[in-house]
Amino acid sequence: MASQVSTYEGEPIDVSGKYRIQSSAGMFALYALLVIGVAVVIVPFFWMLMTSLMTLGESLNRAWIPAVPQWDNYIRAWDEANFGEYFVNSIIITVVTVFGILIMSTLAAYAFARIKFPGRELIFALLLTTLMIPESVTMIPNFLGIRGDVLGPTLLCAPGNAEFMTTIWGTFFPCDGWINTLQALSIPFMGSAFSIFLLRQFFAQIPWELWDAARIDGAGHLRFLVQIVLPNSLAPIMTVAIFAFIGAWNSFLWPLIVTTEDTWRPLAVGLYNFVTDAGSELNLMMAGSVITIVPILILYFFTQKQFTEGIVTSGLKG
Amino acid sequence: MAVQSPSQPSPPAFSGVKFRESLTAYLFILPAVAIIALFGLFPIGYSLYMSLYDWIVQQGDFIGFEHYQTILGDLPGTIAFAAGLSLFVVAYLVWDRAFKQLDNGKLIAGAVGALVLIAGGFVTSFGWGRMIEGTTNADFLLGLPITLYYAIFSVPVQLSFGLIIAYLLYQNIKGKEVFRMLYFLPYVTPAVAAAAVFRTIFSPRETSVANQAVGLFGLEPLRWLQDARPITEILFGVQWEGFWAGPSLALMSIVFLGWWMYTGYNAVIFLAGLGSIPRDLYEAAEIDGANQVQVFRYITLPLLSPVTFYLSVIAFIGTFKAFNTIYVMRERSALGTVDTASIVIFDTFRAGRRYGLAAAQAIILFIIILAMTQVQNKIFGEKVFYG
Repeated sequence: MASQVSTYEGEPIDVSGKYRIQSSAGMFALYALLVIGVAVVIVPFFWMLMTSLMTLGESLNRAWIPAVPQWDNYIRAWDEANFGEYFVNSIIITVVTVFGILIMSTLAAYAFARIKFPGRELIFALLLTTLMIPESVTMIPNFLGIRGDVLGPTLLCAPGNAEFMTTIWGTFFPCDGWINTLQALSIPFMGSAFSIFLLRQFFAQIPWELWDAARIDGAGHLRFLVQIVLPNSLAPIMTVAIFAFIGAWNSFLWPLIVTTEDTWRPLAVGLYNFVTDAGSELNLMMAGSVITIVPILILYFFTQKQFTEGIVTSGLKG
Repeated sequence: MAVQSPSQPSPPAFSGVKFRESLTAYLFILPAVAIIALFGLFPIGYSLYMSLYDWIVQQGDFIGFEHYQTILGDLPGTIAFAAGLSLFVVAYLVWDRAFKQLDNGKLIAGAVGALVLIAGGFVTSFGWGRMIEGTTNADFLLGLPITLYYAIFSVPVQLSFGLIIAYLLYQNIKGKEVFRMLYFLPYVTPAVAAAAVFRTIFSPRETSVANQAVGLFGLEPLRWLQDARPITEILFGVQWEGFWAGPSLALMSIVFLGWWMYTGYNAVIFLAGLGSIPRDLYEAAEIDGANQVQVFRYITLPLLSPVTFYLSVIAFIGTFKAFNTIYVMRERSALGTVDTASIVIFDTFRAGRRYGLAAAQAIILFIIILAMTQVQNKIFGEKVFYG
């Protein structure tokens, strides 16, 4: 059976043609349908791009293509509408989050896959249940936690404790909490049950002979992980990194709650504020959308194979 | 989830080594587990705790289940409502399983099932009526049918379009890779940006893309995201009230965005599913002289059922959790007809600052999602053919 199972691409290995459309009329209809579908997918992108290059007048009227492309719109969106700052914020938040996820998930996945310890199955099952929990359930306590309401004021920010709060502890855990900080926007996302699950599947398949050999050479788990497991797991790690990147870049609800000023506001929230602002110019709004979308598209085009493979394996076998 | 425990040589008998191994493992999992516990698990308990307090920005008095009373209105009504819903499930089970051994089992099952179904409908609407009457804050209850519309109008369409596209791509066509890549684009697009674009596409301006499109069919421009009228009224001109009036045009505009975003994802997964159907089955069908429709009906669809089940569960839960696109696309003049449960929770929390009430709403939504997953697993999970 193994030889007939296709690759993830849905590329069946020379299946007999009988149950596929063959007549030229049929093929024509097939392509026609596919092209119509693609048109539906593409039109919003095309329209967004074109509108972002229009003058305000053009964007409000029936135009589909700008008479003269207004590249200037991007400069205005970047500077005046502050998308430049949001962009840099998003990049930093995303990079920090992705690295956090990679380091923590690799360590945890390795332990879950290759070390026997009491409570392993139980803890792992608990982690997986968090995948089902809607963000609206966790957001309110997390907001209070980040704001410092749960621990901060009662325990550490008591008046008698003022001196302690001027130490390094206070700079990382100020009394007014983590609102508008990079920590608030990255750390809660670093524990990723999904990434751990994906990597654990892969790490479990690495032959035990390698571990035996490494142990004879005097290596511990950490060295084995870094020197043997990681170099052999670049593909799944890449997949996890891509998912983490997209998740971090697209996150909206949480950043919306924990940012009240532009300091660390990411693109998604900046764009939302711009969209819902009454006086916003449509062409600049579309330029902002393009700025938000482009990094993801670039990532997608360059890592497409990894990407689809990751989606399919996590989708079908998860 | 086919998680296999790694086959592992039994560790050395020295308990000291074992202890050190375990210690290493705990250190390895500590960072990730601590964060997940803190930001993923702890909040559930804390939400429960908060929901029992009169908590408006600051923690207030302990009030027990008063928030739940406020939201659900009436305990007997809620019980009746839940019982009515379970009767629907019972009706399905009767219709599907019972009386199979009898000669005219189908007929009896059909009749009994129909009776149970009618009873369920009656009890449900009775319970719902009491809940609506009793509630002192109807936002969340009114959000539930809207969430249901959003799910019902989103999921089947996304799945069937996805299957159609996958089936087309499965044929011997050129440029399969390119097509697949393009169809997948909307899924990776940041939701807020996509919603910003669709918000202007479905704007009520005469020159908006959506109005130009209906203009091609000679129709009058519509108000789309700002139109709170139910679609039955717009399509058929009838003035229905209540649940059967259907979603508003504003909600449907958001549903369209969902179709656009998720169809390609479903297509890619379906395509992989199609590719893993063993080839000998098709050959056997060919020998038996089956035609293309029969092959699709009796081989392709049943063998795809695990994929279909997986996708529908994911999509259904996804619509119940959906927030981003709805929040960005919602307009004041939609008059709350797009406010699904998640949106109501967020509003209660942010605009209303009633943290305790919002926590109670969130807990109820969580229970609903859990119950739905269970029912889906029970009813459809067993029907799935896993080869």
